[in-house]
Amino acid sequence: MRPAPPLGAALLVVALAAPLLSARAEPPNDEGWRPFKATWTLSGTRQLLPTEGPRPAAIVHLQGPLVVTGGEGLGRGFLGEAFIFDDGGSLVVGRAVLTDGKGDRIYSSMKAEPVGTGRKATATITGGTGRYAGLEGTFTFSWQYVVDAEPGEIGGRVADIEGRTRRAPPGGAGVPR
Amino acid sequence: MSPAAKTLVARLGVLSLGLVIWFWPVPEGLTTPAWHLFAIFAATIASVIAGAFPILTASLLGIAVAVLSGVLAPAQAYAGFANATILLIVVAFLLARAVVTCGLGQRLGYVVVSLFGRSTLGLGYSIFFLDAVIAPAFPSNTARGGVLYPIAFSLAQGGGSKPDETTRKRMGAYLMFCGMASLAVSSALWLTAMAANPLGAEIARSHNLNIDFGSWLVASSVPTLLGIFLLPLVLYKVFPPEVTATPEAPAEARKALRAMGPLSATEKIVGATFLAMVVAWALAGTLKLDTTAVAFAGLGVLLATESLTMKDIAAEGDVLATFLWFAILFSLSQELNRLGFMGYLGQRLAGALGGIPWLGAFVLLLVAYVLLHYLFVSQTAHLLALFGVFLDVGLKLGVPAAPLAFGLFFATNFFSVLTPQGSSANLLFVGSGYLTQGELYKLGTITTVFLFVLYLVVGTPWVLFVAR
Repeated sequence: MRPAPPLGAALLVVALAAPLLSARAEPPNDEGWRPFKATWTLSGTRQLLPTEGPRPAAIVHLQGPLVVTGGEGLGRGFLGEAFIFDDGGSLVVGRAVLTDGKGDRIYSSMKAEPVGTGRKATATITGGTGRYAGLEGTFTFSWQYVVDAEPGEIGGRVADIEGRTRRAPPGGAGVPR
Repeated sequence: MSPAAKTLVARLGVLSLGLVIWFWPVPEGLTTPAWHLFAIFAATIASVIAGAFPILTASLLGIAVAVLSGVLAPAQAYAGFANATILLIVVAFLLARAVVTCGLGQRLGYVVVSLFGRSTLGLGYSIFFLDAVIAPAFPSNTARGGVLYPIAFSLAQGGGSKPDETTRKRMGAYLMFCGMASLAVSSALWLTAMAANPLGAEIARSHNLNIDFGSWLVASSVPTLLGIFLLPLVLYKVFPPEVTATPEAPAEARKALRAMGPLSATEKIVGATFLAMVVAWALAGTLKLDTTAVAFAGLGVLLATESLTMKDIAAEGDVLATFLWFAILFSLSQELNRLGFMGYLGQRLAGALGGIPWLGAFVLLLVAYVLLHYLFVSQTAHLLALFGVFLDVGLKLGVPAAPLAFGLFFATNFFSVLTPQGSSANLLFVGSGYLTQGELYKLGTITTVFLFVLYLVVGTPWVLFVAR
């Protein structure tokens, strides 16, 4: 007997074809802002460098699926990749790039607390390519958990991304910060 | 249809599957590299399941396509060859060879047979019991496999069962799968018996579910001990060894032990080295020792003392094949995961369960969680990618926290046997030569279904009871 996994294939089809039940379309407000919600499950590496203070400096490189669970104006999901630099003192900054199935990208910069369970971050969308060209907006999140898998390897999840986007008006009203 | 024609049909079918997926529009939310890598990975695994190619051939073709098509960069594709756990498997194979060739394995085998050897079933139980007892001290189930494998191998050899077509099924094939299945359940018994368990407990803590060594043991005890009691019997029924009753074996084993006389110098060196390694593996977490480095040290000592020779190493040709195919599948799976495929799929699957009563959602979440292991070659990677997602979604659907978390924990351990590549801990037994790919998939499916039902039917009420 060889185990043909028809149930697995069916699940695959359901997963890829079914709409996200929790996703709800919300209309833009008067200024064209569209809210969205998302989750992000990430894994990657964290390299540490000792500092004169109690906390080491860190370079964190994370990657994983960002799934849009509510809102409109964005695709249903992205591959999200982030670089975060923590100087071991008061500076924690980063960049994140979200890439959709067509290769269109959303660029963002982040200001954050050191990566860890319960810590928060704020991101500013700084532009995009393809269907996201001229996009602006912000989003915030906190780490639901961050775990050290192997030495230097971490995994984590963000379950509460909330933000808003809009197409930048002609002349550019400026990105809200 | 002739076997050659069947193989040709299977190969064409697998090729078609890969091409259809490759050229299918990329589902929204996934990237093109992730989708193309999935096409390659799915075709690779399907070709093994369908019997189109042996696992080594399928893996080599898969990684060649992945790199030559530009889906993976060479550095990403070959990363598995430098993975510490995979290197540990290679070294463990060679260490097992030393235990067997010096006669220590045979001696250990005689000791086990003298105690449990009235039947092959008894030998199967001895593997499960030994594993369950030593498991809490071994966070690396792969290292634990390195302890069990030489014993199972020696028991098989002692019973006249060799990894050849004529005698492998006498008892060797059964005992080897017992070794694999045993690791799957013993890892679920103790919080510290598998590297991913404490990580899961840490993730569960973010959902206000505090699980420590004691509460894990209480929750796992009833279903897992029942599994340890029943699984050797189930395997015995569905995959019976040709030699079943050996009532005279204990007496003969005692006689053979006497005839062997005292330990030889080489046996003493190998025994002391192996014992030191076992202690170091057990203390690896506390002393922050790398388990692979411990294995390398042991191998170095055995070579330096000539307890193991280059000739012995050369005789372990199958190790290279196992190293190649597992490292390749490891890389493909890791990259597929890194590109967000599994996480996205898991999130979408879990998200599609809204509106279903919690019990139905609970079962479907567990089914999906287990089936997604077809895409993984690492239990830890699976847990990191999906445990938090499934826990989160399940809780939002109203599934009680404790049975949900433990259901996912138990699954993370027992789905290791779903496929031969489902865990690095399987590799020693898979590479023993006693089991065919078809048998591994068949027995893996049966064992997974059996343990799924056991943990669902017995484990869930028990966890609900103890978590009141």
